[in-house]
Amino acid sequence: MNATGATFDVLHELRAICGDENARERPVGGVYVSPATAEEVAAVLRLANERRLSVGCSGGSTEFNATKLHVDIVLHTNRLTEVEHYDHADLTVGIGAGTTIAQLNAMVGCDQLLFGGDPSLPERCTVGGLLATAAHGPMRHGFGGVRDYCIGVRFVTGDARRAKGGGRVVKNVAGYDLMKLLIGSYGTLAVITSASFKLFPAPRQTRTFLAEFATAKEALSFRDLLMRSPLSPMCLELVSPSARKIMRPEMEQDAWVMCVRAAGSDAVLARYRKELGSAVTRQLESDGEIKMWRAIGDFAVASALRHFHVNVRSSDVLSAVDTLNSIAGMAGIDLGVIGRVGIGHLLVAVLGATTEASAGIDALISVLHTRFTDIGIKVEGASNPWPIPPMNLGSMRAVKQALDPNNVLRGRQIS
Amino acid sequence: MHFAAVIEQLRKIAGHDAVLDGPEDLMLYEYDAGVRKCTPSAVVFPQCTEHVSQIMRLASSAGFPVVPRGAGTGLSGGAIAPEGGVVLAFARMHRVLKVDAENMRAMVQPGVVNQQLSDDVAHLGLYFAPDPSSQKACTIGGNVAENSGGPHTLMYGVTVNHVTGMTVVLPSGNVVHLGGKGSESSGYDLTGFFVGSEGTVGVVTEITVRLLRRPERIATLLGIFETIDDGAKTVSAITAAGITPAALEMLDGWTLRAVEEACHAGYPLDAGAVLLIELEGLTEQVEEQAEAVRAVCFAQRAREVRRAKDEAERALLWKGRKNAFAALGRLAPAYYSQDGVVPRTKIPAVLRFIEGVGKKYGLRIGNIFHAGDGNLHPLIMFDPRDPAQLELVQIASRDILQYCVAVGGSITGEHGVGLEKRDLMPLLFTDDDLDVMLSLRNAFNVAGVLNPGKLFPTMRMCRETTGPSSNPVLQAEGM
Repeated sequence: MNATGATFDVLHELRAICGDENARERPVGGVYVSPATAEEVAAVLRLANERRLSVGCSGGSTEFNATKLHVDIVLHTNRLTEVEHYDHADLTVGIGAGTTIAQLNAMVGCDQLLFGGDPSLPERCTVGGLLATAAHGPMRHGFGGVRDYCIGVRFVTGDARRAKGGGRVVKNVAGYDLMKLLIGSYGTLAVITSASFKLFPAPRQTRTFLAEFATAKEALSFRDLLMRSPLSPMCLELVSPSARKIMRPEMEQDAWVMCVRAAGSDAVLARYRKELGSAVTRQLESDGEIKMWRAIGDFAVASALRHFHVNVRSSDVLSAVDTLNSIAGMAGIDLGVIGRVGIGHLLVAVLGATTEASAGIDALISVLHTRFTDIGIKVEGASNPWPIPPMNLGSMRAVKQALDPNNVLRGRQIS
Repeated sequence: MHFAAVIEQLRKIAGHDAVLDGPEDLMLYEYDAGVRKCTPSAVVFPQCTEHVSQIMRLASSAGFPVVPRGAGTGLSGGAIAPEGGVVLAFARMHRVLKVDAENMRAMVQPGVVNQQLSDDVAHLGLYFAPDPSSQKACTIGGNVAENSGGPHTLMYGVTVNHVTGMTVVLPSGNVVHLGGKGSESSGYDLTGFFVGSEGTVGVVTEITVRLLRRPERIATLLGIFETIDDGAKTVSAITAAGITPAALEMLDGWTLRAVEEACHAGYPLDAGAVLLIELEGLTEQVEEQAEAVRAVCFAQRAREVRRAKDEAERALLWKGRKNAFAALGRLAPAYYSQDGVVPRTKIPAVLRFIEGVGKKYGLRIGNIFHAGDGNLHPLIMFDPRDPAQLELVQIASRDILQYCVAVGGSITGEHGVGLEKRDLMPLLFTDDDLDVMLSLRNAFNVAGVLNPGKLFPTMRMCRETTGPSSNPVLQAEGM
């Protein structure tokens, strides 16, 4: 059988594993199954291996729409929501992969704790999806990526072995660091069923300082000054004029905006204000601040814009922005750019019709690839998230062969 | 191939003076900072990636085991070669290749000493954050292999959080480049996977590390407690107050007296325990946190809270902590250091348990550890000349680590599994967990040429060579 649809007996067997109401046919062909436990996930994958069926994993479909998965079985994680442990005094939590980030935030927020991940659309984005795509939002600047605060993971390999890596303590080097391998692997190695995380004390007070500049160069000079200062903001985000217009259509003036979010007491925030100097044009707190960061976090995804992520050396950000604008100008497309520029990240969205956007993205990536070394590019919503084959593809394939020898997990390609 | 021919080949690759095979030389490489010993058959000092590649090709074809070694400061037996093994010593690959201050990165060879890198970039206001207690001797290659920590990893994370790229020689001799200078690269995070793999999947020959900017203000406090229980409870009370110190270390009364006598760090001789608490960051923030920490300590019945007045006092307090293991050498011929981890709220209970274990087996156990992240280092005093004592010590260690696992912890927080704890892995991991890890090891190191006998339980060792005969993908890729 191939990815054109599962037969009736497969559906019947999946219903036997997960319950009648948790397996059904997909309108586009194949079946849809929603296991509730790691055992059920393993049983589904065993069946897939026996019948040589392809499986793709789906969480909240915020990064990749499950309807586009060309597989025999779409495995939805929405019923994997068990809280395995929540030790608020230890600042750790272990939770099912199908839990949404908003649900996790609500749980830990009651204890004045903070989860370090702030991906787009937190009401839909799941813990498993966050891990599988290594997604991040503006807090990536101050709290690191999910690889930095995920302390354990439970999963089922492509060949149906239930296993785990790490644990539930914040420091642990027993065994291989399987979290690192699975984070950002786009579900091509294993189905993540739950994960444990280190939590952070929630800041008692935050304030956002906005500084507007006529050019990207000026904005990034401001970034450089800040990075050399003693300040360590929780978010540091660049917003291009076009991106700002999408988020705030009422804004008429073109400006590159640097958004600096700081946490601390009145004295700490006053120090930020003093250090940031005359470049600051506005300050935001409370609802206004929350709304602004939500708009940045959901940019591109909320507007359904085709977009991709670029990671370059911090010193290459300006050059990357100039290159993007120059190529886009020649191609007649408009770009919206935001990014965690303190760590060399840019999110590039192509404004315009879908066909133009697709062609534009290909051209932009091709040029970036030839001009920059140490560049990482990920395209959201594409079958192959890495349009430029990773330089370690041989080792990646060896890892894939070790965990998914029958190539069952085919939701996404690895080049 | 006869081993004499191997030696000859090694000399051709690395140079005549880069290979040791005399018994008096080899004795120096038969141990690390743990308690296991085994004399290697040769030691070779590669000087570049190409040397390592050629050595691994030779090892794969001739079938002798290779064990990479940094400074030999590891505490898990990870750098000890099996009989007939060749130690790949990185003492001659000790250069800082490049410092990119603008991007806060450095590219180093694996033999660079941890402290040396921070010293080299100090004039730029930068430093390398992972700071194992052995940082004056241990190498960054060793830090990468073990995913080493240190006191300040409470705030800044362990080695893997500070490595962005590396060059790796696979057991086949093929060279792969992982990651880079950027914060993220395309593809699987193989950089993250290789860090902490204890030299079982590849040999790291170049490492790109992240550097941090020196903080504006540092406050170092010494909380002095009458009882170890009060000190232990203070650890989670500080976290509960929303404060994440840069470091939060604890010494019990017996240990601090031993340390004080050796180091004269200014620790009180009559205390039940002390907490060494360091806060870093913006001046305003550090000052507020210092006051808050002081209040928490007193709320938890601290007798006194001192603050280092200047850098000299701070250095002295840290001298006591960093030299503590060595100081205990004055009290017994040897110590067995364990590395269990518990959730930090379990620290009071685990310390009581350790005290009970000491009484049960008649052993003196000191505690000096990274309390902030629950990483214990019970130091069990013994005389290695008495095999019965060593056996007792190992039984006591197992009891302690079993307890750590039972309360939700781990058998190692920063020292690695190596030889020492390989048979304790089933306490944490199921057969399937270990099978998955073994299949990944075999993806790169199926013949077990590289660092055999480490990390996996002895019972599983027989499967190391009878697992998947070879990874067809690696073969197809010419790897």
